[in-house]
Amino acid sequence: MTQAQTIEILLVAGRGLLIALSFWLLLPRGAAGGRRLGIALGAASLVWICWEVPRLSPWSTDGVFLVLAAVTVVSAVGAVTLRSPVYCAIWFAMTLLGVSGLLLFQGAQFLGVATIVVYAGAILVTFLFVLMLAQPQGFAYYDRISWEATFSSIAGAGMVLVLTAAVSSALAGTPAAAAADKTDTDKTDTNTLAHAEVVTPLVDPSTPEKRSADILSQDHMERLGAQLFSRHLIAVEVAGTMLLAALVGAVAIAVQHRQITSPNAPQHGGSRHGGLEQRALGQGGLGQAGLGQGGQAHG
Amino acid sequence: MDELHLLYNYLIVGALLFSIGLVGFISRRNMIVMFLAAEMMLQGVSVSLVAWGRFHNDWGGQILVIFILTVAACEAAIALALVSMLFQRAGSLDIAFWQSLRESNLDAFVDQELPADDEETPHWPTLTPAGVEPEIEEEETVHRTHV
Repeated sequence: MTQAQTIEILLVAGRGLLIALSFWLLLPRGAAGGRRLGIALGAASLVWICWEVPRLSPWSTDGVFLVLAAVTVVSAVGAVTLRSPVYCAIWFAMTLLGVSGLLLFQGAQFLGVATIVVYAGAILVTFLFVLMLAQPQGFAYYDRISWEATFSSIAGAGMVLVLTAAVSSALAGTPAAAAADKTDTDKTDTNTLAHAEVVTPLVDPSTPEKRSADILSQDHMERLGAQLFSRHLIAVEVAGTMLLAALVGAVAIAVQHRQITSPNAPQHGGSRHGGLEQRALGQGGLGQAGLGQGGQAHG
Repeated sequence: MDELHLLYNYLIVGALLFSIGLVGFISRRNMIVMFLAAEMMLQGVSVSLVAWGRFHNDWGGQILVIFILTVAACEAAIALALVSMLFQRAGSLDIAFWQSLRESNLDAFVDQELPADDEETPHWPTLTPAGVEPEIEEEETVHRTHV
């Protein structure tokens, strides 16, 4: 193994260690402190990742992207590591704002707005409803400790490293990068990704289909609608049916619970803990069978 | 080359969102925060899909994200109905209460040291009552005649 390879492996391992350590320090671990150090290490690892990634060419574009990405990732870390679930939901809303901005930056107009409307406007509000109904006052004990903090931080760091390595190896093998390797004969710098002259056109004029799928065109919404309702019509209908099924299922679950707490519910023996679970599994099975029979009767 | 750099940056952001969601899903014990982390994973995948769609100039990325949005909404409805049902039975949102649903070859997770419950309950300031208390009629407390 050459020295350059050892240095590269050490750098990758160091990055993974930094990410794992920052995750571990940020997760709620009872009364143990170290959150500020976790924040500092997390910021350092983000800056390191940003350093390794090639930047976009006009600095204003790059600045906008960096602000959006920073807002998204920092809010995501906050949404997952804070001790109060309501704060987690609010930071998740901030993450959704960041993701919406990132999608708009890519030119996905409909998705940028749909993320806000559907996720932050419907799903998150439903979350908050259930939280308000179920969350105890103050910080509950199960919010302030986590399951396997060590293992999960190692798993998270491993996931980041694997996905980053997969991205860089996939992009090193693209035709654009290969062409850049071939044409980059005059420059002495070996960083081909950052200094290549090849520009990949956005619209590939080879096939008519590719020519028409122009994401950055003026009539983006019309084209998206045309694609959605012509090529993916069956999927749209199936999605509508699935929404109906989810609605019926959610109502069935809620109504079924009310039937369980009535005095006519079947009683199982054993401890309270075991009895609850048997009832849960039994009623869950009965509920599924009831739904299936109801669906077949009406279908 | 700028498209490639854009793609690279977006894939990194998607990977980070996915990993953060993964860490949250594995480690948190509140059922609702676990579900929030699962939604975070879906966000990471959405960002990556839109980036690939832009790079290959294909609508399929955005259309799949539309369907992911739909599926996430359905999943949220069912999952929150289940969570509220489980809360009604267990009395807490702790998922360790249901750990007898684990695989048979695993040991039970026993909490070693629980942090005290009311350790960080905030104490809100109170104002001293001042002024005269208004007279309240008994019938008004039962049924308000006007708002």
